Amino acid sequence: MDYKFVPSVCPYCGTGCGVLFEVIDGKLVGTLPNKTHPVNEGKLCIKGWNMHEYINSFMRLKQPLVKAFGRFMKTEWDEAIRITADRFKEIIEKHGPDSIGVLVSAKITNEENYLAQKFARAVIGTNNVDHCARL
Amino acid sequence: MRFIQDLFKFMGLEGRLHLAWISSAEAQKFTQVVTEFTEKIRKLGPNPLSGKNIHPFGDTGNSRAGKLESIQGGQDASAG
Amino acid sequence: MQAQVEQWLKEGKVDIFIGYKNIDGHVLPHFFTKENIDEVKDLVVGQAHYSLEKVATKVAVDHPDMKIGILLARDCNQRALHVLYVWNQLNPNHIQTMEAFEASSDLEQPEVTAPYKQKMGLGKSMLPKDVEAFDQAERFSRWMYEFSKCIKCYGCRNICPVCFCKECSLEHKDLVRAGNLPPEIPIFHLVRAVHMAGRCIDCGLCEEACPADIPLRLLYRKVDEIVQDVFDYKTGTNPDQSPFSVLGEKVVLEPTPINE
Repeated sequence: MDYKFVPSVCPYCGTGCGVLFEVIDGKLVGTLPNKTHPVNEGKLCIKGWNMHEYINSFMRLKQPLVKAFGRFMKTEWDEAIRITADRFKEIIEKHGPDSIGVLVSAKITNEENYLAQKFARAVIGTNNVDHCARL
Repeated sequence: MRFIQDLFKFMGLEGRLHLAWISSAEAQKFTQVVTEFTEKIRKLGPNPLSGKNIHPFGDTGNSRAGKLESIQGGQDASAG
Repeated sequence: MQAQVEQWLKEGKVDIFIGYKNIDGHVLPHFFTKENIDEVKDLVVGQAHYSLEKVATKVAVDHPDMKIGILLARDCNQRALHVLYVWNQLNPNHIQTMEAFEASSDLEQPEVTAPYKQKMGLGKSMLPKDVEAFDQAERFSRWMYEFSKCIKCYGCRNICPVCFCKECSLEHKDLVRAGNLPPEIPIFHLVRAVHMAGRCIDCGLCEEACPADIPLRLLYRKVDEIVQDVFDYKTGTNPDQSPFSVLGEKVVLEPTPINE
């Protein structure tokens, strides 16, 4: 039986509390707060306490999926991005650029956030940029 | 019972829990006990958990407050 | 101490030893086994305060025959083990303990309480008798102020070394509704307090894990006082005491034949 405590960081919000994952035989089974972490000092919110539940969830996506013929079909990344780009072009032509919104995240770097809003404003041509922390 | 009464006292909800064993044949005693306890509760004042008093800073907008009133405050149990 | 642990593992006195190790500057719980016996020289005991007994309980569920060694770094660890023995969560024959008391889990005095908390709520280093100095209305409003900060993270329950129920009543849909904040105060905390009667060993982990700084230890200390007062039951002192206590005198019935 291989029982380890692996220190890590909570992936939910931008705070980044330190956690300890309880890993039994390579599988994540529990979450504990890291008492010596400077950010949270041993305290977690309910999302942090239950991280082990969603990480192993069968509902997680493993491959890009594209809806075709009324069903989700597995596809490759290049194909998925190309299909998305084509659909964006269609939507912009038909309904105008303001019909598309972009959601950024607290978990990505500031530089990536900048990139996302630049994409929204310069490429798509819309001001509709919002943040996951407001949701 | 003693345990919960002590705990309530620690919380600031003293004297709101009462246990009485009354047989269904002792109707008079039942009315007497209930009337006395009702008077006692009336004197103690409204249950601080009822209405909108849950949050010390004002109304939380939760309607659970009304339900809590039926769980705490003026309770007595009678065994028939 | 490390030599002793090495010897235990080599002899087979314990299959695994739960202690602490310094990983990247953090002192974290670690499992020392015979396979990686070289790691034993990294065994440390710092100011870290994790519930190793709870970890042992989880291991014992899946591997009931495994012999586990536990490092006792604080005085509350021994009390936790006693309570777990009493409630049949751990088998005392399979547990080997090693004492290395580095820290005490008594209240650290004095604590600097922020002025607003002093005015509206209750400080963490208060004792039950300090609360009894307030009158009923005052006590109620102070406790409600403290409880209203609760974010229902269940941290107090998750980290408690003596909480082991598979179906926690705090998650019962008829008692605590999911998706509502604040939780049903004060019922939520009072239910937890009542469940801690006879089990709480005053380790302080719940208070340390509460992100809202609710003085849980004060509440559970009062519960412990009531239990000692009314039922004459001292939690965690004796691994052989029954979890129930009988009030009054024991009556022994002698068998007598019906027709005498």
